[in-house]
Amino acid sequence: MKKIAYIALFAAALFVSSCKDFLKEEPFLTQSNALALIDYNALDKAVAGAYSPLADGTWYGANYVLTSEMRADNATIPTNTSFQSGRYQPPFYMTYSADATVGLWGYGYYVISAVNNVLEAIEENGMDQYTKGDVTEQDVKNLQAECYFLRALSMFDMARIYAYSPAKAAAVNFSDCIPIILKTDKTAKEQPARNSVSEVYARIIEDLTTAESLMAADYTRAGITDKKAAATLPAIQALLSRVYLYNQNWQGAADYATKVINNSAFKLWTAKEYPSVWSAATGGSEVIFEVYGNKSNDYDEYWEGPSHMTNPIGYADCAASKALTDLFEPGDVRGSKGVRGADDGAVMFCTDKDEASGGELWTMKYYGKGLGDATSTPDVNNVIVLRLSEMYLNRAEALVNGASVSGATALGDLNTIRANRGVAPLNAAGAAAVALERRLELNFEGHYWFDLARTASGAVTYSDPRRPANLDATSKFWALPIPKREYDVNENLSHNPGF
Amino acid sequence: MKKAKLLFSALFVLLGVTLFAQNVQVSGVVRESAGDVVTGAAVQLKGSTTVYAMTDALGNYRISVPSDGTLVVSCLGFKTAEIPVNGRAVINVDLEPDSEMLEETIVVAYGTVRREANTGAVSSLKNDGLAEAPVASVDKLLAGKMAGVQVTGNSGQPGAATQIRIRGISSINAGNDPLWVIDGIPVETGDQSYFTNTSNAMSAINPNDIESITVLKDAAAASIYGSRAANGVVLVTTKSGRSGKANFNARVKFGASMLANDNHFRVMTGEELLNWQRTAYANAGANPDEKAPMSLLDNGTHDWLKDFTRMGALQEYEINASAGTDRGRFYSSLAYQKNDGITYGTDFQKFTARVNSDYRLTNTIEIGTRVNLAYTMSNDTPMQSLYYNNPFFAGLTLLPWLPLYDEDGEFNLKLPSNSNTNPRYTAKYDDQWEKQYRVHGTAYLQWEPVRNLIFKTNNSVETTFGEGRRYWAPDPGDSEGTLQTSTTQYVTLTTSNTVTYNFALSNHNFNVLAGQEAMRRNYLYYYMYGNVDANIPYPSTMVSEQDQVGYSGNARTLLSFFGQFDYNYDNRYYLKASLREDGSSLFGSENQWGLFWAVAGSWNITNENFMRGTSGWLNLLKLRASYGVNGNNSIAPYRAYGVYATSAYNGVNGTLPSTPDNASLSWEKNYTWNVGLDAGFFDNRLNVQIDAYSRKTTDMLLNKQVPQTSGFSSNFMNIGSLSNKGFEIQINGDIIRNADWTWNAGFNLSYNKSKLLDLGDTDEMTYSDSRIKHKVGKQFYTFYLKDYYGVNPSNGEALWRHHEFDEDGNITSTTLTNSYNDASYIYAGSPEPKFTGGFNTNLSWKGLSLSAFFEFKTGNKVLIVENRYVNSDGQQMSMNQTARSLNYWQKPGDTGVFPKPVANNATNSNTFASTRWMQDGSFLRIKDITLSYNLPTNFVKQIGLNAVKVYASALNIYTFHDVDWWDPERGVDGMGTGVYPMTKSIVGGIEVSF
Repeated sequence: MKKIAYIALFAAALFVSSCKDFLKEEPFLTQSNALALIDYNALDKAVAGAYSPLADGTWYGANYVLTSEMRADNATIPTNTSFQSGRYQPPFYMTYSADATVGLWGYGYYVISAVNNVLEAIEENGMDQYTKGDVTEQDVKNLQAECYFLRALSMFDMARIYAYSPAKAAAVNFSDCIPIILKTDKTAKEQPARNSVSEVYARIIEDLTTAESLMAADYTRAGITDKKAAATLPAIQALLSRVYLYNQNWQGAADYATKVINNSAFKLWTAKEYPSVWSAATGGSEVIFEVYGNKSNDYDEYWEGPSHMTNPIGYADCAASKALTDLFEPGDVRGSKGVRGADDGAVMFCTDKDEASGGELWTMKYYGKGLGDATSTPDVNNVIVLRLSEMYLNRAEALVNGASVSGATALGDLNTIRANRGVAPLNAAGAAAVALERRLELNFEGHYWFDLARTASGAVTYSDPRRPANLDATSKFWALPIPKREYDVNENLSHNPGF
Repeated sequence: MKKAKLLFSALFVLLGVTLFAQNVQVSGVVRESAGDVVTGAAVQLKGSTTVYAMTDALGNYRISVPSDGTLVVSCLGFKTAEIPVNGRAVINVDLEPDSEMLEETIVVAYGTVRREANTGAVSSLKNDGLAEAPVASVDKLLAGKMAGVQVTGNSGQPGAATQIRIRGISSINAGNDPLWVIDGIPVETGDQSYFTNTSNAMSAINPNDIESITVLKDAAAASIYGSRAANGVVLVTTKSGRSGKANFNARVKFGASMLANDNHFRVMTGEELLNWQRTAYANAGANPDEKAPMSLLDNGTHDWLKDFTRMGALQEYEINASAGTDRGRFYSSLAYQKNDGITYGTDFQKFTARVNSDYRLTNTIEIGTRVNLAYTMSNDTPMQSLYYNNPFFAGLTLLPWLPLYDEDGEFNLKLPSNSNTNPRYTAKYDDQWEKQYRVHGTAYLQWEPVRNLIFKTNNSVETTFGEGRRYWAPDPGDSEGTLQTSTTQYVTLTTSNTVTYNFALSNHNFNVLAGQEAMRRNYLYYYMYGNVDANIPYPSTMVSEQDQVGYSGNARTLLSFFGQFDYNYDNRYYLKASLREDGSSLFGSENQWGLFWAVAGSWNITNENFMRGTSGWLNLLKLRASYGVNGNNSIAPYRAYGVYATSAYNGVNGTLPSTPDNASLSWEKNYTWNVGLDAGFFDNRLNVQIDAYSRKTTDMLLNKQVPQTSGFSSNFMNIGSLSNKGFEIQINGDIIRNADWTWNAGFNLSYNKSKLLDLGDTDEMTYSDSRIKHKVGKQFYTFYLKDYYGVNPSNGEALWRHHEFDEDGNITSTTLTNSYNDASYIYAGSPEPKFTGGFNTNLSWKGLSLSAFFEFKTGNKVLIVENRYVNSDGQQMSMNQTARSLNYWQKPGDTGVFPKPVANNATNSNTFASTRWMQDGSFLRIKDITLSYNLPTNFVKQIGLNAVKVYASALNIYTFHDVDWWDPERGVDGMGTGVYPMTKSIVGGIEVSF
């Protein structure tokens, strides 16, 4: 009987000592949140992954760019019905509602939560946890800078879609923007309200200036295929130039554009190069930041990607409007026209191979890397977000509006671009000339709609009789609705006027 | 933790209690009044808890007691006797049988209870209530036997899984299967194969090894199993040896099986089909002589289904042995079963071996083991869905004028309409199998330091090793085949430790239980996929650049503390309370521990004084009531953890958050009310048990939409609720009971209705098949289908109903339309039966016995989606059609017929999601008719045997139903597309005991 007592005592002791951890079973084939951010390598992977959703179809993977072009009248749905697939109807007919709006919201906040996790981990665990072995404090700061850049870009892109620009917000007296999320809500229970436009822009600028101060000048992310598809110091500065421009801080826009223009790493494409640069596997000399396209990306839109959407033998729904293609002066390489298949890499607009569409033209900015044929598989494209020409245009516009940069003039900047596009120099450069040059240079890159939206007077006159009423300067469409599903789960979200 | 410490300190206190006095040796023999010796009777010194002895196989005992002491002699089934020693050295004792104690006991959670004392809603079966049916697993035997236990077959394949639902369905994302507990240890259940269409872990248990089965249905009975009890608990007790001399049983069984088809369901003959096709072409404006010339019949026609099916064969061999002495008992069995299915390439084999042993080491310590070994091997061909390889589907759809064999005598593969596959070719050359090796091993130690205080520790290991293979042989002329192999491993370790004490203070009877359990389960899986050399079709010849390797695994743990308190006053008023605290690794850190409890009471009215007058005809009248909560933790591991997953971009694999943290993830909870009545009449020859219940599931685990500002769009959360309400009646009667004749009959009936109460953000969710919705306010499973009206009598077109609905979803107006697109979807009905049950009867005269068992279900709908193809109204011109399609619209005025066939029509009249294919799934099945004969004992003894029984059974021999298909059973969701249909079989066997 004693034996039993001993056995029982032994078992009890064993049991009490082992039971504390008995109920802890962590996943070992996926990484728990804690493990995913435990050291520098893990952090580095988490930052690399945070870029991934930029290639989603609601964002630079197609829609964010192409729907903007469609709303702004640069793009149109072909009149010949055999060149339509039924896509891109809402931006063409302007039938946006909370049920059918731009879907960026989820992916924008997904990136924000991914980078917030990284920033929070560094803050909580301290720099020391990550600077082990060869890893320096600067290595960690570079990651932080990438996170701040991605958060700023995500907030900026969402603010542009779902809220009025600072100028229009004042004009329509509605300044609700997007909720600023600086810490991931791990319980997913919080229902954040919208911050004001000025708060959001102030935060974007703060994130970008923080990123600028943290990132080493020569830093580029290691291991990636396309070095231009990750944040660098010039990318941070270029985005800051644009954000200042949107915020009408003219001197800031000019100063930051100048920093990039003076960076010898970037060179304007020449008129000769210009039509062929769009099929490059990785970003060319003008590219400051772009989104990498490839079927091996987890986020790959495949048939819905910009290449297939602007290909006459693809879905073809996004053709170029006559209003756009008629704007170019003769000899301007940016307006050069040809036939798809015969003139690939030589012109910027093409009609279909058989010319069956009645003269419809499609942009060649997404004609593809040659990794698909549009019949068995679609082709893929990089989508440029920031490039050098924009910096000249940003500065020219800032200078017109009163900024000053020694040695730089608006006319000089415009003519620098024009000299590289095969068109004669201008004699004078006012606000209208800068705006026109901007449209000619950056069409189909997702700028024109937002360029109209960011000025108090911006309006759209549709050139196609099929399209609905023109948009005046205070139209409700300058701030598109937030998706309905978000209202269903967040009581604190206000509605945009008219939706 | 505190509880464990308490338990052990109590143990030490008790160790100190030992006393001795001046002793004499007493010995003697214990006999029944009839004269036979009683083995295993306890002979105890009155007032002592430690001095006692047991009688041996000859009834002898020997004990050392004080000369002025008193012996207390007791044995289950006898009245306890007290005899003063008075200095005697030899005391022989006669025990009187105790009729009250002979009363039936039933196995319940962590013990047994007299049926009269039971407070919860339980159903139980002794093994002799299980038929001689040739089934691979015991779960199949429960169909229709117990009220409230719905057993649904969705495949007639040998060794197939069954779906058991106790008192309805409680969950969308957690499981709906009951917990199975074998000899005190929860075990693995369900389909654990990778490539075969179905498998059943329970087939590792030989049904003949089972002594009894109890199903715990309400909270009072089941809540002590805590977080795993929500869907009910099935307790299985295996046989122990009996005291006495060795006894052997040998059984042999042979049988044949065939497709169950009691409604003459068939496809068209070649001639019928050709005429029908010619009509369809003519209706489409085509020339029948060109599209379907009569010459198609020139080379003869045949019935593909006949070529694809065969007579199934069953054989089963078993031998078991049992023996016992005063100290030890032993039971062992060895069995082999082989069942060749009704299609080529389908069979199931198993070997099982069991050893159950119990041994009394000392007067206070007993140890024992329960060890079961099983090897199962299952072969089949792909038929999970409407594959071209599925012999049942291809057998219906292949055109009867296409030949089975090609010119070379090989199975014809030139069948473009069937994607050039031939199920017979597949069965001959391709592999699809699963082999499983299972070990259940349990060892217990039981210590009774004082009478009625029992410490018990029960420890078990269950391991399963599975090996699967799926191989596609190359087409003739090719040299490479394609191979998939899988290796799976499950290991479950369980320790269950309890202490029970029962005592009485005058008329107050107490039974107290405290316990602790811990469980750990690990799972691993390896997989390989690649092209292999057809001459060496194993992974060694895979081309390394192309092959794929998979790996997965998980682990879960459960730690529990529990207690139970039973009290009764004078066998009239019963009270029972149970409590269990479970900690589970599956749930979030904030809700890792859950408390489950139940209370129950019953009142045995017959034991009241005022009922004396009715004792002549009323033996038992008892009211029961219970309420309690238990949990459902059947979810995949790690759902509580926020997890990162890899995301490829720009040439590198980064990581991204993939699921949010979910620290509050918890159990689904079931709150159950139960009221019941037990009655026994006429010397308990008529027994009635009635229960009514209301079961409410709350905190259902659903994917809740969350603000995307969190970075996620949904989170797995405890929201949602549903209810199940119903009643159950079980009646058993011994109608005739005399020396030569017995005739008994039983009947059970249950009614259940589910209602979805809340789904969180939404009021509707789609089931894994879009033809079923989970809709708030409706039954759990509700068909959502286009509302088909019938044929337009004037032109033979299909007509649909178009409804206008008001805000509440009520129909406000209805118009008819011939446009499928304008047809309205309606909530058309539910596959959940309203009533289920069965009845059985057994008539025997001397050694001859005839028994019959019927099962029924009513009020459920089934959806035969295969009709899309086999009653296609001409949309499928390269498939045969069922004979029902011959009854089509021919002339104006025809109603109640199929639309007029139009070749290649695109009207969608035959769409999957149509009320046209929904039918009443009610059925009455003659599940089992058995005639058996026990050879006369005196004859058997002469040839040196104890007993010989021969019998013949007919299973599923006839089913009354109205479904246009072979068989009405289609699984719990009523669809079961493309599965192996039910079979009927005839079995004969002989059983010899010696």
